[in-house]
This record gives sequence, C-alpha cells and structure tokens, in this order.
Amino acid sequence: MTSETHDGQSKRRAFFKTGIAFISGVISLAMAVPLIGSAISPVFKKGQKQWVDLGLVDLLEGVRHKKINYTFLSKDGWVEANRERSVYVTDEGNGSFVVFSRVCTHLGCLVRWDEKKQQFHCPCHGGVFDEAGNVIAGPPPRPLKRRSVKVENGILYVREV
Amino acid sequence: MRRRIAAFFESRLPLRDVANHLKKPLPKHINWLFSLGSMATFLLILQAVTGAFLALYYSPSPDHAYDAVNYISQEVPFGGFVRGLHHWGSSALVILVFLHLLRVVLYGSYKAPRELTWIVGVILFLVVLGFGFTGYLLPWDQKAYWATMVGVEIAGTVPLVGNFVANILRGGEEVGAVTLTRFYTLHTIWLPWLVFMLVGLHLLFVRYYGSAGLPQNRPEEMQGGKPFYPDQLFEDAVAILVLFIVLAAAAIFVPVPLEGLADPTDASYDPRPEWYFLFLFQLLKYFEGPLEVIGTVVLPTVAIVLLLLLPFLDKRERVPLRKRPVALTVTSISVLAIVTLTILGGRSPKLETSLETPVEQAESSSNGADQSEDTIQEEDSEDTAVFDFN
Repeated sequence: MTSETHDGQSKRRAFFKTGIAFISGVISLAMAVPLIGSAISPVFKKGQKQWVDLGLVDLLEGVRHKKINYTFLSKDGWVEANRERSVYVTDEGNGSFVVFSRVCTHLGCLVRWDEKKQQFHCPCHGGVFDEAGNVIAGPPPRPLKRRSVKVENGILYVREV
Repeated sequence: MRRRIAAFFESRLPLRDVANHLKKPLPKHINWLFSLGSMATFLLILQAVTGAFLALYYSPSPDHAYDAVNYISQEVPFGGFVRGLHHWGSSALVILVFLHLLRVVLYGSYKAPRELTWIVGVILFLVVLGFGFTGYLLPWDQKAYWATMVGVEIAGTVPLVGNFVANILRGGEEVGAVTLTRFYTLHTIWLPWLVFMLVGLHLLFVRYYGSAGLPQNRPEEMQGGKPFYPDQLFEDAVAILVLFIVLAAAAIFVPVPLEGLADPTDASYDPRPEWYFLFLFQLLKYFEGPLEVIGTVVLPTVAIVLLLLLPFLDKRERVPLRKRPVALTVTSISVLAIVTLTILGGRSPKLETSLETPVEQAESSSNGADQSEDTIQEEDSEDTAVFDFN
C-alpha cells in the first residue's frame, strides 16, 4: 500500500467516524426532545381552578380550627376523579374566615390541632405551629398555608386547582 | 484530564481488545443487505425506548387502557409522536427481521458453522411476532379485542392441550382484565428480557463466527475486507438514519389507528388482525371442518420446524444463489405465497353489515324499529330458549 492511498484511507476512516458520531447525535437528539418532553409534561400542566363549597356560613359561625373534609371532582390524567382534602376552618368574625391547609410545610404530612396545647402538631418530624399557623418548633420552613377563600351568598368556598 | 479518565478505564477494562475486535476485517465481498441486522437492532432499541416512555402513561386495565392510549395521543405533548414511532416501528421491525432472514436464506449464511446464529435468529423472529401479538391488545380497542380473541382461539385448536393453553393465555375463559395484564406483562417484561438475552447471544455468535459475507468469498477472502468499525458501521448508520427519517415522518403524518372501545357485544364489527398476521388469517379460510387444525397448527408448526432445522437439512457447500435452483424456487414460492395470502387477507370483503340487526334500546326508535321487528322477536325467542335451557 502506498502512503498516498494510506493517507486517503485514513481520511476516509476519519470521515466515517465523524459520520457515525453525527448520525448518532442527530437521532439521539431527535428522540431526546420528544421523549423527555412527554415525560416531564405534567409539570407544566395547569389544573382547572374551581371554588369548592365548604358549607353554609351560618353553620360555621364562631368555629375555631374546625376540621372539614371535602371532595371535589378533578381531572387526573385520563380519569375524572374525586379528590379529597382536609382543612381547618376558623371564623374570624365580620364574615371572614381563615382556612389552614393541613399539609405540613416540611414534608407534606397532615398536621393535627391539639385543643389542649392550642397548637398544630405534625405527626412526622415534630413540627409544631401556633394558632396562627406560625412555626414554633421543629423543621418546617414556613407557616401553614392559608387557603384562598371567599364567601358568596352565605356559603364559604375554598379555591382548588 | 480526558486522557487521565481514559487511562483509568483502559487500565481496568479490556477496552482496547473490544475496540480491536470491532475493527476486525469483514469478508471481502459484502453488500448493503448486510446492514439489515443493524437496522433491526436499532429498531429493537427504538421500540424499547419508546415503549418505556409510553408505559409512563399507560394503565393495563379494561377500565383505563383505552382512555390512557387516547390521552397519550391527544393530550400528552409529543405523545402522538412517540406512540406513532412505536406503532410504525413495530411494523418496520417485522419487515426488517423478515428481510434479514430472507437475506440469510438466499446467501446460505445459515450453513455451518453458523447454525446456532441462525436458530437464535429464527427464535428472535418468532419473539418479534410475539411482541406484535401481545402489543396490539394494549389499546383495548375493537381491533385489539377481536384480534386477540381470534388469536387465542387459534391456540385453542391445538389437539388435546388447546383449551388449556388458550385459558392460560387468557387467564380464564374470556378475554378480559386478566388477559390484558397478562399481555401487558408479557409485552413489557417477559419478552423484553427474552429478546435482549437472545439478541446478545445472536450478536455474540455473529462476532464469534464472523460475518458470512457473500457466498463467492474464497476462504482467504473471509477476512480480507473493510473493518466493521468504522467502515461498515458508517454504512449501517446511514441506513439507520434513512429508516429513522421514514419512521419519524410516518409518526408525524400518518395517524395511528385507534378504533372504538372494545365491545364484546358488537357483532357488526369485522375482526381483522394486524397486517403481518393477515396471511395466517387468510390461510385459515381454506381449511374447513376437521381440517381446521391443519391451518391453525400443522402448517405453522411445520414451517417453524423446517426453518429451525434448515441448516441441518441443507448441508451442501455454500455456493452463489444462481447455483441453488431448489433453494431459490422454494424461497420464492414461500415468499410469494405469504405475500399473496397477505394481500388476499387484506382485501377479503367484510360481511354485509345489514346481516347484523341494529342495536335496539328501549328509549331509542332511531334505528328503524319497524324494519327489524321480526328479527328482534327472533332474538327474544332465542333469549327465552337460553333461559329455558338454564
């Protein structure tokens, strides 16, 4: 084999190698976008906002940290499913209500109201919140979440997504 | 840095040996048909990857499967594309594996010492068909339900053990929830494990015995060609890219069929299998009464056994195709028969839908109650008869 053809051959081989890398790259990219896109798409999906009925204001007059469970219909992937939630409702007078989410701001366990101590206690990692939902002990980084509410025609509603 | 990382791995793994192995020269005479195997391997990987992502949104239950598949097609971003690739990819895989097999037959590549490569290859072909059969039940549409019904009944015609086998496949007497989870498990766990073990074995044999090349290679030419890497792999890559572009175009522009929800009572539906089983569908029409078992069991079994034993039945020296008139004739007739049966199966006329009485519901009078009053009475009396019988 002369050095000239040898040169030509190694040039050709270098081209082949680049070609293989290029084609692998093109196909991988063309696949990665739709595959990863489809997999992470739920993150960007926005739920439909709705107001859920928590009860008649008249019946909630003067309540303090009253546990209310409610269900609402929502789309869960390809099914319309009933979801259940639990909240604590307090009447602040003048027709305004505070509705605390029971979800601990640490890692999502459901807090319980301790009537004797007047505190919310998380059963998981020892998080404690005061009456106003502020953290007084344990690892939770934020106060309990206050849910958006409204009163309309004598009915208390909480906003759900 | 890059060099140090490379050195770390090279001192611990036989990477150079592997690299040298990939550079091993191929036989001198070879052509583009030798890319078919690489193309099939690529498709298998594509099916595995798209399948793994489709599974994120699938639910193998008759209550959910159809809605989930619809959700993938309609609502998941890129879902229709991924499903399209998986759907059209499955058809392409069947075609490519078949062409690959045909190439091996026509070039006599199955002959000694490559019998084991061939046998594993034939089993792989059957596994690919198994993937097809278990896969198209999953959307739980009409085609899925009815084709599976008929397919399992075919297994049911095996003498003595047929019913037993059919019940195992279905997980009971009828195609239902248990069948769906079974087929899903087979499709996504059992068969993938099997196929990757078999492909591994197949590739190991291919590398161990080397490519067979064209029959005209003289012994001294068997290692006298271009290296697998990068020369052959580049050609394979180009072929794979073309294949990928065609499939992606199909996934984008050709909608994947999804028929109505599976309805076991809908007798107006004409069940048809996926196109690659149409030849079998058509074949079954020619064997009537007690001969039925010839079409459902005997012929397929004989064909599979003959294929598996091919290297042991034809032990003559490898020679170019033009010197193998018998092989050429038998192969041509077989291919022609399969193609003809497939076309006939695809064209086979559907039954007059008027033979099926419209569904009557108490509230609705829109289906022409008058016209089929007689038939309804007949049906009623049939129902009564059934009750009497019970």
